[in-house]
Amino acid sequence: MEIAITNDGPDEREESMRLIRESAESVLREDISRSRALRFTSTDYDPEKLAEFAELGWIMIRVPEADDGLGMGLSELVTLARELGRGLTPEPLLNQAVIAPYLPTELREAVVSGEKIVLPAFTPFGATPAQALDGQIFGTTEPAPMGRQADAFFVQTDTGAMLIDKEAAGLTSTQHGMHDGSQFTHLKLDGVKGQSITCDCDTLREEATLVLSAYFLGLSDAAFDLTNEYLKDRSQFGKPIGAFQSLQHEMVDLFLEKSLLAAAVDSAAEQWDKGNDATEARRLISLAKARANKASNAITRSAIQLHGGIGYTDEADIGLFLRKTMTLCGLLGTERFHRTRAYRLGETGQ
Amino acid sequence: MTTNDDLNQLDNATFRSTIRTWIEANYPSDLRNPTKRLHLKDNWPWYKALSDKGWIAPGWPREYGGLGLSAEKQVIWTEELERHGCARLNDHGLTMLGPLIIRYGTDAQKDYFLPRILSGEHIWCQGYSEPGAGSDLASLRTSAVLEGDEWVVNGQKTWTTMANDANWCFLLVRTDSTGKKQHGISFLLVPMDSPGVTVRPIDNLEMHDEFCEVFFDDVRVPKDNLVGEVNKGWNMAKALLGFERIFLGSPRQAAYALSRLKDLGAHLDLTDDPVFQDACAQFSLDLENHKALFSSFLKAISQGRPIGAEISLLKISQSELFSRITNYMMDIGGPDVGQVDSLDAEGLLNPSSQFLQARPATIYGGSSEIQRNIIAKAVLELPTA
Repeated sequence: MEIAITNDGPDEREESMRLIRESAESVLREDISRSRALRFTSTDYDPEKLAEFAELGWIMIRVPEADDGLGMGLSELVTLARELGRGLTPEPLLNQAVIAPYLPTELREAVVSGEKIVLPAFTPFGATPAQALDGQIFGTTEPAPMGRQADAFFVQTDTGAMLIDKEAAGLTSTQHGMHDGSQFTHLKLDGVKGQSITCDCDTLREEATLVLSAYFLGLSDAAFDLTNEYLKDRSQFGKPIGAFQSLQHEMVDLFLEKSLLAAAVDSAAEQWDKGNDATEARRLISLAKARANKASNAITRSAIQLHGGIGYTDEADIGLFLRKTMTLCGLLGTERFHRTRAYRLGETGQ
Repeated sequence: MTTNDDLNQLDNATFRSTIRTWIEANYPSDLRNPTKRLHLKDNWPWYKALSDKGWIAPGWPREYGGLGLSAEKQVIWTEELERHGCARLNDHGLTMLGPLIIRYGTDAQKDYFLPRILSGEHIWCQGYSEPGAGSDLASLRTSAVLEGDEWVVNGQKTWTTMANDANWCFLLVRTDSTGKKQHGISFLLVPMDSPGVTVRPIDNLEMHDEFCEVFFDDVRVPKDNLVGEVNKGWNMAKALLGFERIFLGSPRQAAYALSRLKDLGAHLDLTDDPVFQDACAQFSLDLENHKALFSSFLKAISQGRPIGAEISLLKISQSELFSRITNYMMDIGGPDVGQVDSLDAEGLLNPSSQFLQARPATIYGGSSEIQRNIIAKAVLELPTA
């Protein structure tokens, strides 16, 4: 593990996570309606809001204190990701927070203050990374969500990472409209020149995977709560539909899914921050991502069914959670990839 | 040249190749494999082509202008439409109201309405659900009061599919609110251009205005537009839901989704992957068994045997299989799976739009939960609490 984390004891960790949670809760209130309004617009997200989040220090959570950051662990970033997921917050800050510690000083300062946007473009799990040859890169990456407004991309390569400008020669970027109303940017790199960054980009991809899983946890929480409330409010046959036993059992199954996901995310973050067993940490991250896909798909799909006809309308908020899950669940490894990787790491360590 | 009279005489293989050739020659090529349900303005050329050929109502009896096809041939018919990627029509008149009028309508109603459904002059929509009466349909409150020779209708319907295309609506209305809720419901036919009818389209999760709310504000309808007996509409409504469940139990959606899943597998280089193959094998097993079950129901119907509540099995089986196949597409699709546009240039790979289309299939026409209740009570005769 390359990132030095603070030596705070468990109590201080709990305390910093609580503070993040509380400030996020107050800042992100009403974020569902804000996120709805930002769909299918020309910007995907609100740059002013991103600057506001930056001011709270959210993008510098992982930047060491020596570099004027908050020097916090992955657990704190995971705590924040969960809160952002609850509100379906679209601003691209989590991925930036993962790579911020590795950016050159001047650019890092611009990123953590929200002035510039630098988004990672990781190699898909199981694929060959883009190749860096004599300072030029060739290949493709996973799409970068919300990449339209990025000033630069932090591209994973076979030797680390390379920082490339959005206007760099040899870079073809295309935008693809997604069901959540955002756009993904596809990058094709044909001899693009950039600035080499020394880092273990595989490790950063692991962190991004856990952070995404935590976003799914928040999303699942909120979709579950919305559905549970609906079952108390909606009446048919003279009683709330939540009184029907088959629906109660369905909700309990979904509650189990979400509880399994919460435990998976927390245990992976804890192990990662201990920093004493990289293989075990990766195994736990795979368990978390596999469960994140499984639980968020199960919850959002059932949530539509449990809402009935109204759930299939764009007017109902529950659909926003389904659309976000559809859009993000294929990123950073499918459920099958991660459950298989977790099993193999457990059995053979590879 | 095969005349329509001969179609039932053909052996199945010849029948299949006959209709396949005709579909390929006559189906508008730019309408193949639509990613959304098409509105009337787009699917009209196909409606017209089938109507002119006399093939618009394959299941209706010959005496009313249908083809009177056997159960087996109706399944083949469906399979060939799916194989070619034909769009669904605005078919509420063809699949639901027509059969109902054939069974319960007066001679005057048959003479007037059936030919106009066949020609497409009348395009129907269904006014059943209301905001407070979805699964609990019998609690509906839209009222019709007889004033002289006219019914005066007031209330609101919802999930009225393609009401924005229709010029007629068949409607369940309350004509008596004194007894049990199932009593006092009547079945009324309402022209959509009547003063007081307002249609508001609702965007669905595909951002498509496929269904609508319809408001009735002192809408006046001739007395003779009532089908069957006053206050006895509930049993007819249930019969109509029976027709709908046969239609919704047709294997077409699941069959189409499975063929698209195989294309998606090829696109993802999974065709030879044993895990993918096993998933496809499980879906195929369910689909083939479902087709056999569907045929056995159609056969019973064409032999005039009454359909019982177990028809609900078809709807559960088909819609849930459709849903599971499209869920699997999303599970394996990778980073681009949530993309709105097709993943390929030919427009055949649309996992996310297939997935979204499958969401309401387990809700409309009686949700999976309601179908299970029906079977548990009416077929298995399990005790109620």
